[in-house]
Formats: sequence, structure tokens, C-alpha cells
Amino acid sequence: MELIVEGVSHRYGDVTALDGIDIAARAGEILALIGPSGCGKSTLLGIMGGILAPSAGRVMLAGEARAGTLNPLTYVFQDFALLPWRTVEGNVALALEHHRLDPGERAARIDDVLARTGLGDFRAAFPKQLSGGMRQRVGIARALAVKPSILLMDEPLSALDAQTRELLMEDFLALWLRERITAVWVTHNLAEALRVADRVAVLSRRPGRLRDVVAIGVPQSERGHDAAQRDLAALHDRLWALIKAEAQVAEREVADHGAAG
Amino acid sequence: MAPQAEGHAPARPLPFRGGGYLPTPRHGAALVAFVAIIAIWELAVRQRWVTPLFLPAPSSVLAALREVAEAGTLWRHVSESLLRIAAGWTVGTLAGLAVGFSMGLFSLARAVGLPIVSALFPIPKIALLPLLILWLGIGEVSKIATIALGVFFPTVIAVYSGIDGVPRSLIRMGQSFNLPWRDIVRKIVLPGALPGILAGFRITASIALILLVSAEMIGAEYGIGAFILAAGNLMLTDQLLAGVVCLSALGLAIGAILSRLERWLLRWR
Amino acid sequence: MIRSLFAALFAAVVVTAAAQAEPLQLAQAAAPTPVSIGVLRLSSSGPIFIADARGYFREEGLAPELKFFTAAQQVPVAVTSGDADFGVTGLTAGFFNLAGRGALRIIASQSREEPGFQLVAYMVTNQAYAGGLTSLRDLPGRRIGMTTVGSTFHYSLGLLARKYSFDLSRVTMVPLQQLPNMAAAFKGGQVDAILAPVTLARQLEAESAGRIIGWVGDETPWQLGALFTSPRMIEQRRPVVERFVRAYLRGAADYNRAFNQRDAAGREVRGDNYADMIAILARVLQQPAERVAEGLPFVDAQGRLNVQDIYDQVTFWQANGQAGRDVDARAIVDLSFVQGHFNVPR
Repeated sequence: MELIVEGVSHRYGDVTALDGIDIAARAGEILALIGPSGCGKSTLLGIMGGILAPSAGRVMLAGEARAGTLNPLTYVFQDFALLPWRTVEGNVALALEHHRLDPGERAARIDDVLARTGLGDFRAAFPKQLSGGMRQRVGIARALAVKPSILLMDEPLSALDAQTRELLMEDFLALWLRERITAVWVTHNLAEALRVADRVAVLSRRPGRLRDVVAIGVPQSERGHDAAQRDLAALHDRLWALIKAEAQVAEREVADHGAAG
Repeated sequence: MAPQAEGHAPARPLPFRGGGYLPTPRHGAALVAFVAIIAIWELAVRQRWVTPLFLPAPSSVLAALREVAEAGTLWRHVSESLLRIAAGWTVGTLAGLAVGFSMGLFSLARAVGLPIVSALFPIPKIALLPLLILWLGIGEVSKIATIALGVFFPTVIAVYSGIDGVPRSLIRMGQSFNLPWRDIVRKIVLPGALPGILAGFRITASIALILLVSAEMIGAEYGIGAFILAAGNLMLTDQLLAGVVCLSALGLAIGAILSRLERWLLRWR
Repeated sequence: MIRSLFAALFAAVVVTAAAQAEPLQLAQAAAPTPVSIGVLRLSSSGPIFIADARGYFREEGLAPELKFFTAAQQVPVAVTSGDADFGVTGLTAGFFNLAGRGALRIIASQSREEPGFQLVAYMVTNQAYAGGLTSLRDLPGRRIGMTTVGSTFHYSLGLLARKYSFDLSRVTMVPLQQLPNMAAAFKGGQVDAILAPVTLARQLEAESAGRIIGWVGDETPWQLGALFTSPRMIEQRRPVVERFVRAYLRGAADYNRAFNQRDAAGREVRGDNYADMIAILARVLQQPAERVAEGLPFVDAQGRLNVQDIYDQVTFWQANGQAGRDVDARAIVDLSFVQGHFNVPR
């Protein structure tokens, strides 16, 4: 399935967060949205998933949903958004309970995603008993349980430490490579975008405009190879040049706010 | 033989500056303090440091309690009060839950309800007794209504601020999975508000006990509140304190039950 | 704390002064002795207000400080705790329980329920009246609202039961704590009758909420109130107590002359000092004179007590379980300050 953004703008009061965005997530690719904080990338993801209404423009869906899809557009959240009073299994089940499924299939789906995300031994644990990485695995398992056609990843690794991020990224890519679900991956981390994305869209800050869309020619499975490293380094430098100036402004602005507050 | 760095002064152990400020369980401390206070109290009366008229000794309070128990009226006092507390608390809580939930979930209900609750909450219920008697008579209904009124407003506030405290991100998550409205309320909002609601129960249970005395000002023959009032009017200070002891015991028992309930319902915390 | 220190100091001064009669006169001339009196803003405390306003206390070398309380129960408590040196109020079971533990001594009379003085009414609701509750003999089996168990209302009802020889346990006493609660229960028909102070009774009558079928004073005269102090005062400051009683009795005499005279037909005869006295009461009670005139109880001109009646009260409360067995009426009353008490038991 494809997700097409046509001329989307969004304003919060007087502030223009997004200005004339045209972009599409193509079938079976991971599109990374990258930009400094305050560039409206999370707002754009909210609009792309239909939980935020844009001030102008529209979002279109093209192509057929996958077989067995219960919730075509499914989010994975930065803060995991797990219900603390439900167990791992209960949190995954939440996404299925309101659908008409026979109990056997529901159980099978839960078993399947828990196994795939390595949570089989933790199904009875409560979120507070889990590490951050394990919690996000629950978030991913919950998303996979509804067999989404498009995954909307809202800074899924930003709340985790560097090592956990690395491990989870590996595991996610391994899962993704089997099914190649169309995904939009929002991040402010350039290295992360270069690891997971097929294309990287760079947003400018306030108002958020599309600066550039860069395709990464190397398949995800080969990015660890030495041969790919040079190409990726060049891409990194090019993207960094695009982002750097604005990231500096953004950082100073936050610092000024801190001083004023 | 202290280890020595070359050319420098001898090394010394780093002074420890941490510790404290961390509540650690001290089992039995409460009991010891309790017993000590009772003992000092008894001693003070026995030694005539205070006149028994102003503060009867714990032993005479106990004797007064035994007297009422042996007369067979203690259980009647306790049971009639328990019935009133249970009925008043239940009615007030159910009404408070209904209003609190609508205020938490619907903007219109909140806009209408919040100023009304703020205006009516601080009214001392005891000032309304003559009105309650006119409306509801002097039977059980007006006594139960006094307690229910006192319980109602704090419950409303606990429920709606509990709902307010449910993280918006969890509700957005529910919406993103296309959960129907009633599922979001039942599976996300209600359990999310539960800690706040249970904390409210603790407060309203105490309020119900406090209002028992007011409620039993309305022509009650039996009941711990009526017993305390009568003892106060008759200046029987030992009986008065015996009644107070009963109320405290009731408060402790209800508190213990609520703690159990909390531990069971909020075991995910 | 500081107050009791001062009190102790004064006690010391007075004791030394009493030992040497001469300096006492000097002390009197120099500075009046402060005394505090616990009172309610009721016309039954009239003798105190009059003695204060007319300067009788000052003439005895006393500087009175009136401490106003809002409930009868608070006055004996204040005297017990030493917050007031003297108190005047109605006699209740609670009073006797305090007095019985050696905290209070009755030294003179205050008001008395007396025929022809309409102060507390037996008031029945219209429904109850229509239903046959037309006389006080019909009270058994009915619900009667009152303030509290152990109150003066309770005792009045006890006397009534004795008079009409019915068992007090056959009337259901409904304790409602406060007059507004009683009025509400009465208007709502929750009780068949109440014992209502005259102002409430007149108000309910004016609203046609019920009928008055009798007055406590007409039915069962009794020693309603008393002047009392603490045993400590009598032991340590007896001369002060004597001076206080002298001034109080002058107030009582003025009060009685102004308000309590009746002709042969029982009609009120106003004393020559009526205007002055009613003005004093109206000012202290913060009410119009006409309103005050509605409810002026009888006060003995010489402060004499119906002693037997006080003994009977103690017996009654003990028999009904409202007063402790250890309360000894003999120890509560000190007859030495007033001459000619009535019905003194041997």
C-alpha cells in the first residue's frame, strides 16, 4: 500500500508547522522523515495516520491492503503507549479485542507476534517490570498483531539508550525484511535513518518544508558491508550539511528558552 | 600501614554524606509509639498530673467501653452506625462516580458541573441539617443523605481529576487502533483513573466517619455518633472517649480494607 | 496558663488580705478585684446583667467580666476549667455529672419554672392535635422532639410523667440537638410534639404550624437554674464569693421587682423600675424590648433555692441512668451564702 501526501500544510494558531508538503511512501519501502526538533515531523506523521486533520491539503491511500489487515495504518510510539495495568499479552490483545476474530485466531496472532519479537517468556509480565527496549518490543508486537499495511514509526528508538537502539534496530530490520511492510520512520537521528530507510526526506524547521529527498541505493541487508560504508559516509555528509545549520539554530533556541525560563 | 601516594599527604577514608531521606519500613515502631502514648497518658492521670475530669485515664475509657459492651448496647450502636455509613457511602459514591465520569468525559458536563460542585462542596453539611429534616424527615433517609452528601463531592472531584490524569498518549493510542469509544472508556480511561478514584475513596471513607456524628444528631437513639453526642451532653468524658475509640477503630478497619483493595486492584504498579 | 498564674496570684493576695482585715479595705479601695462570669444571652441571666449595669459589683469592689457562651453546656465547663469564676445557667444531667466530681458548687438560685410564667411550651403539631393529642395526658405513645437527653426539657417531661402518672419510657424522646432541627422536624410532622422555648413556640404558633397545649411552669414548677462557682473559689476566695453573691442578690431583687410581680388574678404588675430594667436587658440581649418582655422567667428576689427539688433532680437522673451513682446532691449545694432556702432536706 502507498501513502501519498498532497500539499499538506498545518498551523497551530499563528505558527505554521508544516507548509506545502508533497511526498509519498511507496509500497514496500521505509521512508525516513528527518529534521531538527520543531520541524513538524511528528505532526506530519499524525496527519499521515489520520489522527490529526491538516489545515490544508490531503492524504491519499493507493493499492490494496494486505490480507488479514485489521488496522491498515498502525503506529509505533516513542513513549511506547503501553497500558501499565495490562500484561505484555494483554497489551497486544488490546489491539485485537474489538475485532471479530475467533478465539483461536486471536491466540495464534498473539503467540506469533510475541515469538517474533522475542517476548514469548514475558507474556505475563507488566510493563513496569520490563526494560525500555523490551517495552518497545511490546509496542512493535502490538503493531504487528493487526497485520498493518503501513507502519507509522514515531521516533520509536528515541527513548532508548544507544546499545538497546542498536539491538532493536537489527531485530526490526530482520522482521521487516521478511514482510517489507510500507513504513514511515520519523527520527532526528541521521545514523538511524541511514540504517533503516530506503529514502530519507529532510524537513526544514518552522515552517516545516521538504528540503530534499535522498534515496539510499544500498539495500538494508548490505549496509553493514565494507563496500557500502563509503557510499553511506558520503550520503551522511551530504545530509548532515543540509541539517547542520538548522540543528544549530534549534539547539540555541532551546538553550535561550532554558535561560529565559 | 596506610597506603600513601608518593610525595603527598597520607590518604584518608572519604566521609560518607548520603543516607537518610529515604522512607524505610520500621515495623512495630507505630505500635511501640502507640503503647508508649497510652502508658504515659495512664501514668499522667494516675499521678494526678491531669485531672481525670478533663482527661479520663485509658483504663477508665476501657472500663466505660466494657460497661457498654456488657449492657449489650455496644453492638447495636456499632451496627446501626455501620449500616448508615455503608448506605450513605455507597449512595454518595455511586452518584459521585456517575457525575465525576460525565464531567471527566464530556466537556458540556464539565462546564456545567464544575462551578456547581465548587459552589456546593464547601457548604458544611451540618448547616443543612434542618433542611434535610424538612425534606427527608428524621428517619434513616436524612441520616444516610447527610453522609451521602459529604461523600458525593469529593468523589466527583477525585473521579474527574483521575480521568484528567490519564495520559493523552494512551487515549491517542486507542484511537490509532480504532478502538470504539466505549472500549477506550472501559479499557483505558477507567483503569487509568482508578488510582485517583481509590485515593478518593480513602478520603471519603474518613469523611463518612466524620459526618456520622452530624448525621446522628438527627434524632438517633442508637449509633456511635449518637452515643458520643449523648456522652458529651451528659459530660461523661470517659464514655465520650470510649465512643471516640470505637470511631477510630472503625476508621482503622476501613483503612485496612481499602489498603487491601488497593493492593489487589493496583497490583500492576 | 498566664490566666491561671494571675488567678493564683490573686488568690494569694486575697488569702493574705483575708488574714489581715485592714489591708483588705485598702486593696478594695485601690483596685477592684476582677471576677469573670460565664453567662448565656438569655433573660434568665437578667440579675447578672442588672447588677453589672447598675454597678452593684463595682460597689462590692469587684470588676466583673461577662463571658458569653452560646450553649448551656459550655458554662459549667468554663467554670470547671477555671475560664470563668462564676456561672449561671440551667441545671442539666451534664451539670450534675461535672458537679458530682467535685468541680462545681451551687450557691444561689437563678430562674425557676413557676405557674403563670410562660417560658417553655408543650407544642403539638396540627396533625397530632387532630389525631387526638389534645392534652398532656395523651403524650404516652407519642414522639416528642427535644434538644438532648439529659436536658432541662427532658427533666420537665420527667416531672410531667410523674404528675400524670404515666411511664416516661412510653413517650419516644427524639433528641435533635438544636432548636432549628426541632423546628424543622416539627414542621415536617416528624414528631408529634416538642418542648419549645417561648420565642420558638410563638413563632410556630404564628405560622399556624401547631398548637400550644400547656406550659412547663404551669404544669410542673421546678428549680430550673442556679448560680454556681468552683469549690476552689469558695475555699480560697470566700470573701470574693460573698461579695459577689451580695451584688447578685441586689440584681435579682431589682429583676424580681420589675418583672415578676403578679396581682391576685395572676396578671402581670410591672414594677416601678420596669423601664430601666427592660432597657438593660434589651441592650445586653441585643433584642427589642417587646421581644424581651415576651419571655421573662421568674427569679427569686433573694436568690433562694428549692433545695429538695435539686436533690430530686439528682435522683431522677440517677434513676434514668443519665447521672453517675456517685453524684452526691449534698456535696453539690453550698447553702451558706444565701439565707432562707426553701425545702431544705434534713
